[in-house]
Parts: sequence; structure tokens; C-alpha cells
Amino acid sequence: MSVPRILAFARLANGNEGPVRVIEGQGTKLSRTMHGIAYDAVHDEIIVPVHLAGAVLVFRASASGEEAPVRIIQGPHTRILRPETVNVDVKNNEIVVGEDVGQDVMFFPREANGDVAPLRTIRGDKTGLDEVRGVSVDPVHNLLVVSSRSGKGTTGVFVFNRTDNGNVAPRAVIAGPKSGIIRIRQLEVDPETGKIFVAVKNNLESYRFESPSPSPWNPDKPGFIGVWDINDNGDVPPRGVIKGPASEMVWPAGVALNPGDREVYTIDSVSNGMYSYYMPEFFPAKKQ
Amino acid sequence: MAMPEKRAWLMSIGAALLFIGGSINLLFHGAPAIFSSVFRSRSQASIASDDSDENDSCADTTELAMAMTAWRQTQQRGTRVALAADADAAGTQTETTPAGGDIAPARSVADAYPSLHSVAVDPDANQVAVSDSNRGAIFFYKRNAGGNSAHMATPERVIRGPRTGMMFVAGISMDTAEREIFAVNNDIGDRMEVFPYDTEGNIKPKRVLSVPHGAWGVALNPVRKEVAVSIEHPNTVVVYRREASGSEAPLRVLRGPETELADPHGIVIDAGHNEMLVANHGNWAPLTREEQEGPEGLRGGHFALPSINTYGVEARGDEKPTRKIQGAQTQLNWPMGLSVDSMHDEVAVANYGTNSILVFRRDASGNVAPLRVIKGDRTGVLGPMGVAIDTKNDELWVTNYRDHTAVVFARAASGNMAPKRVIRNAPAGTAAVGFGNPGAIAYDSKRGQILVPN
Repeated sequence: MSVPRILAFARLANGNEGPVRVIEGQGTKLSRTMHGIAYDAVHDEIIVPVHLAGAVLVFRASASGEEAPVRIIQGPHTRILRPETVNVDVKNNEIVVGEDVGQDVMFFPREANGDVAPLRTIRGDKTGLDEVRGVSVDPVHNLLVVSSRSGKGTTGVFVFNRTDNGNVAPRAVIAGPKSGIIRIRQLEVDPETGKIFVAVKNNLESYRFESPSPSPWNPDKPGFIGVWDINDNGDVPPRGVIKGPASEMVWPAGVALNPGDREVYTIDSVSNGMYSYYMPEFFPAKKQ
Repeated sequence: MAMPEKRAWLMSIGAALLFIGGSINLLFHGAPAIFSSVFRSRSQASIASDDSDENDSCADTTELAMAMTAWRQTQQRGTRVALAADADAAGTQTETTPAGGDIAPARSVADAYPSLHSVAVDPDANQVAVSDSNRGAIFFYKRNAGGNSAHMATPERVIRGPRTGMMFVAGISMDTAEREIFAVNNDIGDRMEVFPYDTEGNIKPKRVLSVPHGAWGVALNPVRKEVAVSIEHPNTVVVYRREASGSEAPLRVLRGPETELADPHGIVIDAGHNEMLVANHGNWAPLTREEQEGPEGLRGGHFALPSINTYGVEARGDEKPTRKIQGAQTQLNWPMGLSVDSMHDEVAVANYGTNSILVFRRDASGNVAPLRVIKGDRTGVLGPMGVAIDTKNDELWVTNYRDHTAVVFARAASGNMAPKRVIRNAPAGTAAVGFGNPGAIAYDSKRGQILVPN
């Protein structure tokens, strides 16, 4: 909220425990409203959107303190407006950027730096995209999965071909009352299992000046982590959930996976908390 | 999901909800806590309009006992059914209970203590107020509270709870004449609450005003009876009547490329000199495609140097600043809160990025060095967000975001000087977790670390 920082916590952090390192300060060029973050395990880099400066920053993954980004995608030719979320497709060497105000998804070369034009852009009325909140590439199935929130259209999970470009219709949309999706945020695909993990925030946030503003004290329908199959389509319930009072989640805004330890991570904007769940049922053992 | 299974699942959820809510309500009885009310389904609008005076901390042992009974019954029925089968090979959905369920976290990280944001002082009332952006609260202390103890200081009063409507409370300002405190809510709060000085607890605000998304700072102009609010996202300052409420439109809006507003944060009004000062982080990007594709050609985002911009109090539209402190000599680095000292003609800046307080001449302009800098390991300044000068008592207050403290210096303090007093909101040494409505998460598999941007 108030301070645009990247916090790194030990995986086993618990309780009132602080981060092991923080990336912060003017030299980092970070701004508030970083609603996306991606870790590139192959090149050991962190990618974040800078909403208030229309930029995408790439840091060394070990960065700490007031360390400058190693690359910046920014400028008029990028056509980036206000980037909301990011993902990295290591297999195809691309950075994927989703925009809420811009209502689009853009693809840049992974090593892009400066005022670089996007390789492809998915935007337009046929796409069904409105406020894009999450993007994730499934390189195994060659798909792009997008979470989009809309006040007038469809709020849900949109699946495109990875190489789609322009004003194209999605090949599948997961949305509707059975899905439980009311408000949606970050998502991540586990290509190994072909599962889509979604932070279904279901919060009451309102950005309209004339409208009554929300309060975290009174969430209407608590959110959850929902799991769908990469081949799901239509108004289908999640195949897996983390949801309910024991989970402590109210408005989960993000989701990250650690298949190696069979864990799912989320952060919650009501409790200002981070939660780690041991979920072996979501990461079945590989067959020998 | 089959109906009996669905019913049982819902019963389980309901019972668990009752149990958890009852337990926490009981634990926090009398001290309204966020978890005691998050599952309540009152609409936000009712906060401002509902005059019913229901007791928000009504848990008792009967309620808890009922919840525990319901919880045990559902557990005995075994309604947390076995995990669902995975999708079949064709990927078609099956009518089974979803895998997972209401799973308790293996680990959770949250800050149980306040994250201090802004500070305001009323020396005549002998009061200091600090805002807590973590738990949505305002704490009032006696002006001379604190000391050198490692113990937590006891506030005189606390305003927090569901009826306050406060969430990510950021800037605060005290109207010493009218004895009211103004608080703006950043992020998805998007509103300003006004409370009478002497109230406490889980109370409804005296007035609520909707403000644009991204409100950070609030400043009162007692002469003109106005209140100014800095708005990060649209790079704007909006000025309202002091008494404005509801969806009242601002009297003036300052916005446009000539203003050089860029991710504005702290704001202060110097009524004696008819000026308004605004701290900027330097981030700018077009808000719309129309703005991006303007007649002058394509525009993209950019980073400017941080600055302190000065405007006339009547500035509106795309008006230029009359002065600007900006450049390498200034040492500005994520400037947050501001405070003006008209008596000594100085302005103080909470300079988050270098854990310092910068003091400039009030009318400084350009690439100028500060008159004084409070910085160093003895100062206790760690992630400063708020600053307030108390000329009556010749003191300077600082709120630390990266520590659970407010620290008080002599007004003219400089260098690596220890504070006169420390007000602690947590036991000494308690880690400041640092979440503020986090919006994303990632896992660094190489280091075994979880990454959270704010």
C-alpha cells in the first residue's frame, strides 16, 4: 500500500517474522500497485510491473536494498499504459504483461530493455478482456491463461493460444456462479499437472468516485484459492479449493506454487498476512 | 457436488465460521479486532448511514459454546470428506467434492502490531495522533508519552473497528480549532473519515467523504476552511470544503503535465504564506489510451527525480509549481510526509529511502542541500513516513514504518542524534513485517524464499 517494496521471506517464516531482505528506495524505481511478480528460475531474475510509471522492471533475484533494476521496459513504443501484472515464459523467452486500465496482454522479448515495441498484443472486444489481473503461460499446452475482472462483462479465467495476437476470442472461459468467481486476481499455472491456481479475491473494492467505498471489515463473500484444469471451460466449479474460516483467508490477492514442497502460498489484503498451505492433494506424486 | 455432500460441506463451513468468529470475538472482547468482524455481512454503505447502535463486540460464553458444539458435530459426521478424484484423462469435470477445503495454514506471517504511518500533534491539547495502516487505526498519546523504555507505550485512546470504516489509513491531520481529526484511506479505502477529537473505540465517523483512488496525504487549511488530499494514481491534488461529506465534488482539482505532480505523497498547507507543498516520488504514466495517444504524439511512462513542489493554495487545473526542490543535492529519496514550521521558516521531510529527516528552508528552490539532516544508527529513524513539528514545545516527531515506533527529537536536532523519547507500539525488537494490502506473490525456488511486492 503505502511503501512500494519487494519483501523476501524465508519459506518457513512463521508468525510475527520480518523479511530476510527488502528491495526498496528511489534507486529501485518501484512504485505502488505492484499486483504481479514473477520469478525466473532459469535466469535467476525477478520481474515486477510499475503501475504508476508505466514500466516493467527486471531485478537480479538476489537484489537487496536500493539496488537498481538490470533492465527496464518503458516508453511510448512499448504501448504500456499501467501494467498490473507480469509473468515470464522461460521456454519461449518472453515476458508477459497484463494491464487493467489497458485491458490487454502484451508479450515482450525476455531480454527487452528500454522503449521496445511488444511482440504481440491481445486486445479488443472479441477477447472479452477487461481489467486484466493475472497472466500465466502454460508452455506444455502452449496456452496463455488470463484472469480478468469486469463490471460490465465477464469476470473469470480466459484461456488463449499462447501465440494469439490482436483482437482474438479466447478458446475457453471459466466463469459463472458455479465457479464461485466474483472478483479475481493473480493466477499461476502448474504445467506439470495442467492445473490453474487462481486467487479468487471476491472483495468489494470499488474505484468509482461516486460509489460507496468498500470496507475490509465487511467482506460479503470471502475469497478462496480455486484450482481448475487447463481444459476446463464454462461455468464449472473448481476441482480444488482452499477456502473457509480455518484457512484464515478473506480476500486473497495472490497465489504462488511450490510443487517441490507441495505448498501453495497466498497473501491476504484484509489480514495483511501471508499464508502457506501444505497441499499434497494438489501436487500428486509422480508415477514411477 | 451431490446435494447431501453440499449441505454437509456448507454446515461444516458455517460451524467453523461460528467457532472461529466466536473464539476470536471472545478473545478480543472489548478490543475490536479485524478478525472478529470480517465475516459480518453489513454493507459498507451502512457504516455511514446506519444509525442503529448494535454492539459490535457481543460475543459471550454461550455463543462460543454453541459454536464449539456445532463444530464438534460436523467433525464427528466426517463432513470434511476425502479428497476428490483428479480430473479424468479427458479433462471433464466430475460431480465430486473439490480437493482441499477449509485447510488451516501450515504457517502464517502477519504483523500483530501497528504499522505507523502519519503523525499529527496538537500541543495545546497536549495530544499526538499516529495512524496505523496495518490494522486500520488511529492511536492518541499524551504529547509527553514514551521515554527510553523497551516497553510499549499505552495510548490514551484508540479509534478502530468496523464502524470506523478505516482500512488502509494513511495521512492524518488534526484541526486544533475544531478539535477534529481527518484521516484518508489509501488503496481501496478511497475515502476520508473525520472523527471528533475526544472519541474512541469502534465509532462511526462524524463525516465520510469519498475521495479518488490512491489518496495518501491530507492537509487542512484553517484559514480557508478547506482540506487538500494528494492522490497518487492520477497525479492529482483535490481540495474540498472542510465540511465536505458523501460524494461532494472538490472545490478545485490540480492536475496536468505542467503541475509536475508525479506520484504525490505528503502534502502540507502553509496558511500563513498561502502555499501548499507536495512531496513527489517521481513516477508518471498516462492514465488512459487517449492520454497516451495525445495530439502531441505517443506518450509513455517515465521516472522523474523526487521533488517537493510548492503551489499557491488556490492552484487549480494544469498550474505550474511556484517552486520545486529537486536534484542530487537535496538527498530526496522516497519523500513521504511533510511538515511546515512557519515560525522558523523551515519545512521537514520524512525521507524514507535514506532513513532520514531532511529540513529545508521553507522557500528553498532548485537543487539545494538541506539545512539539517537527522540520520544515523543512534537516531532510531527507520523507514520514516510521517513528520510533525511542534513549535510550542520545540520538538520534531517522526513515525517509523520499518519499526514499531514514533521518535521525538529536539526541533533543531541534526546528525546522528538519539531521540528525546521513543513511543513503542510493540515490544522492542519486534520485527516489522511490512505488508500493506499486498497484491501478488511468487516463490523463489533457488533461495527457498517467498517474494511479496507491496
